[in-house]
Amino acid sequence: MALPQSLMVSVMPSELELIACEQLVEIIPLVAMEKTAFISGAYGPLRPPARCKVPIWIATNLKLKKKCHIVPPSWLNIEYLQDRLSRETTYPEFSAMPFRFAEIAKVLLDVASDDFQNADKIRSLLKDIREARQAKSREGLTKLDHSELSLPNLSSMEINEIRPHFVKGMESLVKLVKDPEGRHMES
Amino acid sequence: MSRGHKKSSLRERRPAFYAVTPCTYNHSRRLRPFTRPETMEGDWLDELRQPRAGPSFVQRARDAPDDDDAIIRDDFGPAVIAQEDAEETSFQQFIRHWMNERHAPDILPAQEDLLARLLDHARKQANDVKLLREHPDTSEDEHFRIMLVQTEVERVMFVIRSYVRTRLQKIEKYARYIGMTPEVHERLSQGELDYAQQYVQILDTILTNAVLQSLPPPQQGLDDKTADIPPMIQGPDKQRPVFAHARQACPPVRLPDGSTMEMEKGQISLTPYYVIEQLLLRGEVELV
Repeated sequence: MALPQSLMVSVMPSELELIACEQLVEIIPLVAMEKTAFISGAYGPLRPPARCKVPIWIATNLKLKKKCHIVPPSWLNIEYLQDRLSRETTYPEFSAMPFRFAEIAKVLLDVASDDFQNADKIRSLLKDIREARQAKSREGLTKLDHSELSLPNLSSMEINEIRPHFVKGMESLVKLVKDPEGRHMES
Repeated sequence: MSRGHKKSSLRERRPAFYAVTPCTYNHSRRLRPFTRPETMEGDWLDELRQPRAGPSFVQRARDAPDDDDAIIRDDFGPAVIAQEDAEETSFQQFIRHWMNERHAPDILPAQEDLLARLLDHARKQANDVKLLREHPDTSEDEHFRIMLVQTEVERVMFVIRSYVRTRLQKIEKYARYIGMTPEVHERLSQGELDYAQQYVQILDTILTNAVLQSLPPPQQGLDDKTADIPPMIQGPDKQRPVFAHARQACPPVRLPDGSTMEMEKGQISLTPYYVIEQLLLRGEVELV
């Protein structure tokens, strides 16, 4: 089989992580490095303690070798997340979050929790936000019809999570509308 | 070492880097018919390890002045600057096409140029890595940079492999449909098309030898179309819903319930594939 069965239906969270890790993050390097040409562009030079923007995968690599500190993105702090959580619980719609916030937050908190002021609090806020949003997306399933469902502000990880049910559900609705007598249900 | 000396040495070496045209890589050759994906991956890696066309790196390294310790540095000069300005690097573009391919039920147009460019670039980086690693003068700091470059090459190769495998899987699944539908042919590379044709041939042979030849002739067909029974040749299911993310404001599309939808930039919609098919082919939406 050219592609494993599990990959045909959906995308793995680890693949989403790989995509998210192409995004840039600010670091405070602890070692100097010349400007280096990568396939996705040239990064550096690293001159401690000047801040520098590099892709997340470089940042985590450097961090794991204790060669940099990661500057958390502007949305990954207690005030911002607290604000989002209160909006999430007050309003019925999804509040705007970066499209790949779940992946980025996970990667950064995993490797660089010491660069955050209160990593545990951030983790629990993220978890609360995730649960609040999950409840909403489950509710969204009731609005599913055969033609279109708008999902404003849904993030990539959340889409991946609801994909199997929503796709299956809409597929069945499409068949029911197209063929109300169910003669071709199995086609 | 004087600054002037270094600068002039860089300028001397530049033409060598530009001498290699970026799109010489013929990716269709990679998709040899009858080759299992695993073997193909092996081929790609072999390809990566082989010296490339043009002035060899070894030669360049030999010609380089003794104090030259920055071979990976800014070999890509203007190209890199252009990429930094652009919103999407070519790797990010490719990632977008990879995800589209993964989510779309149909086979999308092959991104041959983009793939060739990336492969070329990855091969070049891998070569530089290999040479620098073997070079005894490479410093500890340099080794770290080499490791990063190597990591990126592996990330890029992972995405490329997954992209090609996704297409191969669809080609195998719809091989018979592809044979009957000339419109699909232009969306495949030559190698993929050959693969599809030969795949059908082998499949026919084995089915005939194993079962069909012992059946009465009316039941030997592999492309029966009878009313009330799903046809034997299945094409892609364009009714399958997909999650589309608008990359820009899109022209209106007609929805199955008769209404029209105009997607705004950033809007995410779950809708049957055929609704957004044209938007996807024009790059106005991406699948997520």
